[in-house]
Amino acid sequence: MTALSPRTDPPGSPVPPARPAGYGLVRARGTSWLVHRRAGVVAGALAVALFAAVVANLTLGETTVPVTEVVKVLFGRPSPDELVVGTLRMPRLAVGLLAGAAFGVAGALIQTVARNPLASPEIIGVTHGASALTVGAMTFGITSYATLPYLSTAGGLAAAALVYVFAWRGPGSPGSRPGAGPTRFILIGIGISVALRSLTQLFLTKGDYLVAQQAKVWMTGSLNGRGWDQATPLCVALLLMLPCVVWSARAMRTVTLDDDTATGLGVRLARNRLVLVVTGVVLASVATGAAGPIDFVALLAPQIARRLTRTAQIPLLSSALLGAFVVTLGDLLARKLFAPTELPVGVLTAAVGAPYLIWLLVRTSGGRTRGSRTRLGVRTNRTKKNSTQEPTTHRPKGAAQ
Amino acid sequence: MSTSATGRLAARGLTLAYEDRTVVAELDLEVPDGEVTVVVGPNACGKSTTLRALGRLLRPRAGAVLLDGEDLAHIPTRTIAQSLGLLPQSPVAPEAITVSDLVARGRQPHQRWWQQWSQEDERAVTEAMERTDVTALSERPVDELSGGQRQRVWLAMALAQQTDLLLLDEPTTYLDIAHQVEVLDLVRQLAAPTAEGTRGRTVVMVLHDLNQAARYADHLVAMKDGRVVARGRPDQIVDAALVREVFGLEAVVVPCPVTGDPLVVPGAPWQPQSPPQTSSQPQTPAQQRADPTSPAQGTFEPSTRK
Repeated sequence: MTALSPRTDPPGSPVPPARPAGYGLVRARGTSWLVHRRAGVVAGALAVALFAAVVANLTLGETTVPVTEVVKVLFGRPSPDELVVGTLRMPRLAVGLLAGAAFGVAGALIQTVARNPLASPEIIGVTHGASALTVGAMTFGITSYATLPYLSTAGGLAAAALVYVFAWRGPGSPGSRPGAGPTRFILIGIGISVALRSLTQLFLTKGDYLVAQQAKVWMTGSLNGRGWDQATPLCVALLLMLPCVVWSARAMRTVTLDDDTATGLGVRLARNRLVLVVTGVVLASVATGAAGPIDFVALLAPQIARRLTRTAQIPLLSSALLGAFVVTLGDLLARKLFAPTELPVGVLTAAVGAPYLIWLLVRTSGGRTRGSRTRLGVRTNRTKKNSTQEPTTHRPKGAAQ
Repeated sequence: MSTSATGRLAARGLTLAYEDRTVVAELDLEVPDGEVTVVVGPNACGKSTTLRALGRLLRPRAGAVLLDGEDLAHIPTRTIAQSLGLLPQSPVAPEAITVSDLVARGRQPHQRWWQQWSQEDERAVTEAMERTDVTALSERPVDELSGGQRQRVWLAMALAQQTDLLLLDEPTTYLDIAHQVEVLDLVRQLAAPTAEGTRGRTVVMVLHDLNQAARYADHLVAMKDGRVVARGRPDQIVDAALVREVFGLEAVVVPCPVTGDPLVVPGAPWQPQSPPQTSSQPQTPAQQRADPTSPAQGTFEPSTRK
């Protein structure tokens, strides 16, 4: 490449559209919104898939209800199958759907702040905190499904707070600003997770045999026996969190930049990060409280969603839809695969999620293409050697194929 | 004379420290408006640290950075971002982000969440991409670009922010010499007034290369051990004595044959006559073969040796 020749900028020259590639512009009543076209299409497709999964979930069971009747019930029309669909299957589905969406969003938020696809509520200690407190409560005789959700929510929040306290670094540390660095946050989260898991095991071992059995089922994340008692508070909690989630969608754009660049752009990074993490932790805790720790949904959904939309940051809406879709479909399979034996949905998501986690680990520890060095998925710095040649067909990890 | 010019950005009694290690003590600095100020100095002299403090990336232990006379610490960060842009030494782009998307993020301080893309945003981004010659790369992922292209994209992002002040931390790091010159020419061009009677952008930049600093600076600040040793126009302050004081290097300063700016040529190369002084230096075969009596050696001698 040759040196630039001096250039003047002619004012008033015709201006070609320079909005970000792939985005469409929506203007309405003095507001303007950038919408990623592909993300919009993906979200639409996911919504359709989710609706199909919902209908399938309500149709299939011990008795098969005709699809037409299911749709009638869904749209509030009178139907002879209202009892089975509306009263028996619907609340359980609602818990799964909402918890799945909450896990998807929680994973997206925490992964964004940590800049690491491995950071998800089950890895940084949130779900283990919820498990520890819940199982502990069970061994002390609190087994009511009405109380446990609140306890596990509290457990998740407490675990996250603990991680944050340990990961916090005071001002003036060399080469860093005050706050909890992303990598530090994950490593300490993993440590706390292990400790909490041991605590849970201790409770299980010390506790009553029958209680331990019951706790085991809860710990794998099962929707069996979940009803409006769980769905209603979950729904209320999610609605309360909605403003935070909407706000986060915008903040995610800037948090993905490196710290210095984001600060230079006037972003209040520490505050944004805190809001994003707290929102994610609350969502994951609430969902765990209602449905138990359904493993890997928070880990998987955002990453798959991002690969589908090919956006520079994790798409929130698609993550939510995908999370809901995975749990809804997973619950259906868990019920039907070995019928009449019913598997907990967590077993199924783990069966899919564990290989994915291994694949993720293998892929991120391998060689990197230039431009982005990744250690455990954390983008560190740009490579020392910057080729001046024309780019090859190499694509870094995560780039769309 | 440039040092007498008043500036929107200044440091007063600035003390910067990492934990208990003080890097910069009691620094006063005036950044002249509409000029390119280049900060030079040896490694660990506190030049990058000072730049970070000017861009509120580092909170001062004592003293203050003033923007229009007001302490940066008391101005909302978003308001600062509307007048002061910065480009860190190694910015990291989000994975798979496209060039136009990254440049558009420079508009962040001018946007609201319900006002994500205005005519003004569009105009600023278009202009920034044209000035840095990255318009053709618009839809390419940043990851795929060469080092020089990528640096131009980052500059475009900083330009799209449309600030009067621009801080650049070693913008030429990792670039080969052709791309270094390309980026520095671009910086010069950004600082140039766009129309008659207007003032150009104010640029503060940290550079490693003293010759590049002398060539591209209107105002040069030489730092050592956290203090300012000299400041002023390069042709007025860069001489052998300054190079010796700041870098501890014996050098000849001659006028650059191209621009006339001071050109620092390291003197006192390896001396075969005095082995004790140079025994610690690794000797390359080429040096060992060099004839000590060759005429080329003699040209260094007169002015550099005391």
